[in-house]
Amino acid sequence: MALLETRNLSKSFGGLQAINNVSLKVEPNTVHGLIGPNGSGKSTFFNLLTGVYQPDAGSYIEFDNINVTGKPAHYIAEHGLSRTFQLLRLYGELSVLDNVLVGYHPHTKYSPFAPFFNGAEVRRQDKIVKDEMFELLEFIGLAEHAEIPAAELSGGQRRLLALGRAIAMRPKMLLLDEPGAGLSPVNVDNLMATIMTLKERYKLTIVVVEHILKVVMSTCDTISVLDHGQKISEGTPEFVKNDPAVIEAYLGREMADEDIRAAMDA
Amino acid sequence: MGILSFMADFIDSLAKRHRLLPWLLAYALLLPLPFVLTILFNEYLIDLANRICLFILLAVGLNIVKGFCGQVTVGHIGLYAIGAVTSAVLSLEPGGFGGALGFGWPIWAAIPTAVLVTAFAGLIIGLPSVRLEGAYLALATLGLGESVRIFIAVTPALGSSTGLMMIPAPRIGSFVFDSFTSYYYLVMTAAITGIYFSFSILRSATGRAFQAIREDTIAASVNGINVVKYKLLAFVLSAIYAGLAGALFAHMPPGYLHHNNFTVIEMVTLLLMVVLGGIGNVWGGVIGAIVVAIAYDQTKDLVFYFMDRPIVFQPLVFGLSMVLLVLFMPRGIGGWIEDFQRNRRFVRRSEERLSGTARNP
Ligand SMILES: Nc1ncnc2c1ncn2[C@@H]1O[C@H](COP(=O)(O)OP(=O)(O)OP(=O)(O)O)[C@@H](O)[C@H]1O
Ligand SMILES: [Mg+2]
Repeated sequence: MALLETRNLSKSFGGLQAINNVSLKVEPNTVHGLIGPNGSGKSTFFNLLTGVYQPDAGSYIEFDNINVTGKPAHYIAEHGLSRTFQLLRLYGELSVLDNVLVGYHPHTKYSPFAPFFNGAEVRRQDKIVKDEMFELLEFIGLAEHAEIPAAELSGGQRRLLALGRAIAMRPKMLLLDEPGAGLSPVNVDNLMATIMTLKERYKLTIVVVEHILKVVMSTCDTISVLDHGQKISEGTPEFVKNDPAVIEAYLGREMADEDIRAAMDA
Repeated sequence: MGILSFMADFIDSLAKRHRLLPWLLAYALLLPLPFVLTILFNEYLIDLANRICLFILLAVGLNIVKGFCGQVTVGHIGLYAIGAVTSAVLSLEPGGFGGALGFGWPIWAAIPTAVLVTAFAGLIIGLPSVRLEGAYLALATLGLGESVRIFIAVTPALGSSTGLMMIPAPRIGSFVFDSFTSYYYLVMTAAITGIYFSFSILRSATGRAFQAIREDTIAASVNGINVVKYKLLAFVLSAIYAGLAGALFAHMPPGYLHHNNFTVIEMVTLLLMVVLGGIGNVWGGVIGAIVVAIAYDQTKDLVFYFMDRPIVFQPLVFGLSMVLLVLFMPRGIGGWIEDFQRNRRFVRRSEERLSGTARNP
């Protein structure tokens, strides 16, 4: 039983068909890779799944056996679908701890008016949640920066915080949009290792968009390939790597065969 | 800096014993203020202190929607007007002057009802925020706020041009809050309680949701925050403050209300408080309210004559200060406060690390 399924998912911006009839399934407890050239629609796909964009008529998205097509973003998040953004979108002026606390928001048990009527309960619950979030920060190595504004973290730390904030809500599924962008190869390896540990620890299903092919090839169970908004290939890393359609689309027509292999193995 | 750190340390040590101790201390220190003012200056200054307390309530409330949640609203003064007029009309005796409406309710029923009515009005003023942002939202809320004032100005039942008179003073048993000094205790208590609760909001999931919306609305919605609901909630909470301030204003001696109290100029004054305070910082807003209210009071009657024509230049001064503030002090007083607090935290952490007592915050 797939945890996430899209059928005929489409999205156009004016005349541009950013996502074109994509049907895709993600099985539970897997790491599913999503690759494709720049502008092929990967981020748009995530935005559709998480309710940031509304899909075109005729699309269907099911998450955890619930039809979430056209549902608002917070509704989908409440059902356990979390994500990071390519450009992170951290809450820059909020402290690192507050960033992950916002990530925890869907599980808040007191009413929004509780600060007026039941301050004691707010403090009691927040204390427990803060301890829990602090543990998460320790795990991703940001605990000692807990009180500084997110905007003041280094690039790598910011990527970790984005990950932490997405995990704070204890999602069933996590969508990662280029988690390693801008990191050095060593740091990308470290980050991927962290992600895999988090996956085990929190029993996550992961969909990851990543440009560094080596990373996708070595960590993903299944890979889907987008090109011009269409799904052009899908299968095991081994299969996708050797699919002529992928080689053709993904690495550009002008590149020689050996170069492609080299890039994929790099 | 030394004396400030000392005070901050002292407040921290109080707070460690009991969360409410610093608040009680502040309350106790403010109790004798009317007597001090009377001895040192004159009784009129108590009236100013009372109006400062109302401005603090207004500024702290505005800070919730504008500072915490990042929604630009210029309709706050309209909410203040609604709170004031509702409470006045509900508590006035029927058949008052010049066809003014009156329901003869007891004041302690009129004030909470006025707050509720204003909260509902806040919801309506907040509705444009669902679709609009920034300058467009400012325009929409400005329109709504100003139309409230004009409605009051043209409706005889609500006082129109003469205003509402002889609005009764609150009483508890046989004690009547009809002097500057007695009223001071009412509005000062309201102001401190208002500040306290604005911190309660800020330090809860509600406040964090507001700030997340301010920082990045899309990220907030993906983090499971119902953006529409929380934006409207911010408007409603800030309206509760405005409604309470308005109601307390209506019953304040001499119990007189006029729509001129709710003009765009008052709104600009209010904005100036929040901007000077530093958007989002509660204490900054409080200090901003005090400073601007005093400046407002001192410049109110400043008139100079140009070719025998009187020119009131207060609006000019206030408008200019606003521009200068935004240009040269964009973080306001709150910016200094935040820097100060961060320095202290930093020093404390380093000390803890040195002495090996570091622990989770
Ligand atoms: N909000 C939008 N309005 C108009 N066009 C958009 C919008 N969002 C995306 N697009 C367009 O849709 C196409 C797909 O963009 P998308 O960001 O999904 O690509 P991507 O695969 O994530 O690329 P990259 O690898 O560079 O991140 C692009 O042509 C882009 O310009
Ligand atoms: Mg992208």
